[in-house]
Amino acid sequence: MIKTVNLTKRFGNVKVFENVNFEVRKGEKVVIVGPSGAGKSTFLRCLNALELPSSGEIYYEGTLITQKTNLNKLREEIGMVFQHFNLFPHLTALQNVMLGPVVVKKMDKNLARDIAIDYLKKVGLGHRLNHYPKELSGGEKQRVAIARALAMQPKLMLFDEPTSALDIEMIQEVLDVMKEIAENGMTMVVVTHEISFAKEVADRVVFMADGRIVEEGHPIEFFENPQTERARRFLKSVLSVYSV
Amino acid sequence: MQFRFDLFIQTLPFLLEGLKTTLGLTLLAMVFGIVFGLIIALFRISKSPLLRGLSSINVDVLRGTPLLLQILVVYYVFPGFGLKLDAFTSGVVALSFNSAAYISEIFRAGIESISFGQFEAANSLGMNYYQTMKHVILPQTIRRVIPPITNEIVALLKDTSLVMITGIAELTYKSKQISAATANVLTPYLAAGIIYLLLTIPLTRLSQNLERRFVKGD
Repeated sequence: MIKTVNLTKRFGNVKVFENVNFEVRKGEKVVIVGPSGAGKSTFLRCLNALELPSSGEIYYEGTLITQKTNLNKLREEIGMVFQHFNLFPHLTALQNVMLGPVVVKKMDKNLARDIAIDYLKKVGLGHRLNHYPKELSGGEKQRVAIARALAMQPKLMLFDEPTSALDIEMIQEVLDVMKEIAENGMTMVVVTHEISFAKEVADRVVFMADGRIVEEGHPIEFFENPQTERARRFLKSVLSVYSV
Repeated sequence: MQFRFDLFIQTLPFLLEGLKTTLGLTLLAMVFGIVFGLIIALFRISKSPLLRGLSSINVDVLRGTPLLLQILVVYYVFPGFGLKLDAFTSGVVALSFNSAAYISEIFRAGIESISFGQFEAANSLGMNYYQTMKHVILPQTIRRVIPPITNEIVALLKDTSLVMITGIAELTYKSKQISAATANVLTPYLAAGIIYLLLTIPLTRLSQNLERRFVKGD
């Protein structure tokens, strides 16, 4: 579905990640974990070209992404959920979800409204349609953001630390929605620290540290029997903070 | 020198005639100023170095020279380059571009105050530049720029008095005419001042109220 070959990103002289070879197959759920500063988020943002890599290649459905690629078309097919939600504050929950289909897909407004209501109900927000983002809790905002991405009917969903900005009691409601999306067969790449989610949902865990992929494997194997010293060190520090 | 109420009443229609011209100048320059101001601001933040450079020079020149000089240049110098405009039109041109320079800076600051995440969220849905601006960025910007732009309109309304230098019979020009004709300086100038205040004070209050409301609402 999407594949990177020797992908490298630098900001000036600062190397963010280097020679990352990564692939996600259709229907696969991949969780990326690793210490902060490992380049996970920047890597994720390269996948839908919000960041452009310094070198290396990205193939989406077998086609090389180049400067000539219609990036808007690409992003239309790749949904993204951000750490800080990035809802449009001047629009209601319903309008937030409708905007993409109406503006980008030129969908009929009534149809887009029906679809948006449908997705908002799916994320448990059928009673919040006409609320503005500032009237919603953090968990509700993130669920609106997920509905907004889903309404574009993407083929791939990227989640960039979707629960990191949430109060602890709101994390589960967002993870539950993500689990449901996973069960419905969506291809997903998730950057997160939620180990229980990774264990339950992921087909594969990718451990990034110091700007490269250090280790990857099946979640149970990775969390219970990490092969590298770097991963063991990381898991030890994470497990002391999060109870699993 | 004393205030003569009878003279005030007698010359009021004459002043109101001038007020009409003042309001016409203000409204036209306001509309053009906002439209051009937005365009200059979009150039200023564009990716093209050429557009950025041109708009930046434009803003520097218009903000760095006196408006009175700009009015004189448009009226007396432009005809030398084949652009002959009547006094009213050249007044509108000078005022429009001058206020556009100030308004563009307001728009630029407004757009830059929108968090980068908003651009990213719009991009991640597949929106192009135009769609992002129209549906996501500008609606949020407009709420933030209405108070400072209202202040700019107050400044513009007062600055229209400068075009009397090219003989446009606006409010200040009329008051000067009355004082010359009646040998009474206090009455017409005081009257003109009161008329300006009746317009500017409500506008300033409006701007302050809007500002308070938007600060709370955000």
